Amino acid sequence: MAASGRRSAQDRPRGLSSLVLRAALVTVLLVAIVGPLAGLVLWSVAERWHWPAALPQQIGLKFWIRITQGDLLKALNRSVVIATVTTVAALAAAIPVSYGAARARLPLGPVVLMLFLLPQAFPQLPVFASATVLFYRWNLAGTFLGVVLIHLVGGLVYTVWTMTAVFRAIGEDVEEAAINLGASVTRTFFRISLPLALPGVVASAILVFIYSLDEFTGTLLVGAPYVTTLPVYMYTASLGYELQIASVTALVLMVPGILLLVLLERFLRAEYLAFFGRL
Amino acid sequence: MNATRPVEQALWWLAAVPATMVIVVGFGFPLVQSVVASFTREGVLTLANYELVYRLYRQDVAYTIQVAAAGLALTFGIGIPLSGYLRLHRSQTAEFLLKVPLFVPFVVVGHAMRIFLAPRGTLLVGLHALGLASQDATLGIGEGALGLAVALAWKHLALVVLLLMGAFRGVGEEYLEAARGFGAGTFRQIWAVLVPMAAPSIGLAVVLSLTSMLASFSIPLMMSKGSGPQMLMIDLYYRYGQHGDFGVASAIGVVSYILAAGAAYYYLKGVTR
Repeated sequence: MAASGRRSAQDRPRGLSSLVLRAALVTVLLVAIVGPLAGLVLWSVAERWHWPAALPQQIGLKFWIRITQGDLLKALNRSVVIATVTTVAALAAAIPVSYGAARARLPLGPVVLMLFLLPQAFPQLPVFASATVLFYRWNLAGTFLGVVLIHLVGGLVYTVWTMTAVFRAIGEDVEEAAINLGASVTRTFFRISLPLALPGVVASAILVFIYSLDEFTGTLLVGAPYVTTLPVYMYTASLGYELQIASVTALVLMVPGILLLVLLERFLRAEYLAFFGRL
Repeated sequence: MNATRPVEQALWWLAAVPATMVIVVGFGFPLVQSVVASFTREGVLTLANYELVYRLYRQDVAYTIQVAAAGLALTFGIGIPLSGYLRLHRSQTAEFLLKVPLFVPFVVVGHAMRIFLAPRGTLLVGLHALGLASQDATLGIGEGALGLAVALAWKHLALVVLLLMGAFRGVGEEYLEAARGFGAGTFRQIWAVLVPMAAPSIGLAVVLSLTSMLASFSIPLMMSKGSGPQMLMIDLYYRYGQHGDFGVASAIGVVSYILAAGAAYYYLKGVTR
């Protein structure tokens, strides 16, 4: 497909006007996409910035240093710990479901899979508000465990569906060969299927980790007032008009995603990319 | 596949329990609970919650639909010609740039757009530096419907272009060559060939974006100035968080389920026709 697209462009060499059009397109996109983000960078280093100066009057890292201390560091640490626990739990819980569904070993497999689409099909906020009411009853509101649970709800959608696709892509013939040679089903799974699925496991882990790091709605409701992750910290800072702190936090939140975009651009498959749109 | 033994089957069931429980307890049950709560007040079956939604939030329902429609118009007004152009004239730089918003979290988009589109935000600073805005100018779009629509479109455009490019690449080169043979230029190829042939995918992208925009919460929350018409999810959040009114909050939630389901229904109707 990609090759045919390139050919069509080469078949029709265009003159100066086409070149100008392309340059204009890239320029407009650059301004429209990088522009709003550049504002974040400027605000994160603006120690003093009064209208109508084009650049802050006083630039410094005063607010960036806050990452290494106090509340911001605490929120960063908490976010990373929650994301790590969520990732491990989401993978461990999803792999049996995905493998069972992919190999048609799980009774009602398709129905179970549909269940994991629910969080995508309905607006999240009303359901999470309702979940918070339940979590209050069970003393889970405002706790670490409560926040991990609500992150798992969204995170499992990614792991279950990507891992099912990954296991489906692994040929059943290699597994049958192992079983015919006398290996048990469990041994086959751990020695053959899981190692073959490793790249998919890694991709899936990265997706959930970033989802959990960025999760805002559920954390705001379930975590309040004790569990403050980075997105919630950013919201609170922005609410108090601490634009610099909010901008520093926003940039920190963008780091893993942008890193992934730059490093894995060539390797990431489009279907994984599509999942990001739902974050 | 070999027939599975009953014991083994039971074990697979057991292994699937934790993940299934999380979804049932964390999403399925709360979903049902919110529907039930929307029809009850102090344990009595009633429509009082919906009456209040009608009285207080009717205009916000209209506002939410307006914002989502404007966001949708922006996203696809730009997204369709852009994806079509990139399908015909590949540009790696443009495609890379367009992927960036996919990796920017919703809350960050909200904050970035807030400082970008503020009355004297970074957009106006830039315009002023280029001599395009006077010193006493202010920008009026940041806090209103248009600012929200711009922010939503900025975030959704990336996914839409990704989906549309995939669909447009699926259209065989021979159709485009035939069109070119009849003298069709870039725009003619997009409107007369790519768009009609990729119509189902475009429909799916419209529904996905529309439901996401109708239910958007973090972007409006970051950009809201706290007065005037609000997006429904903001109303829901304050109704629940500040008034502790789970009944009315749930009724707003059910309205949002219906709006989302409505979009999906029109899509399915269009596809099956």
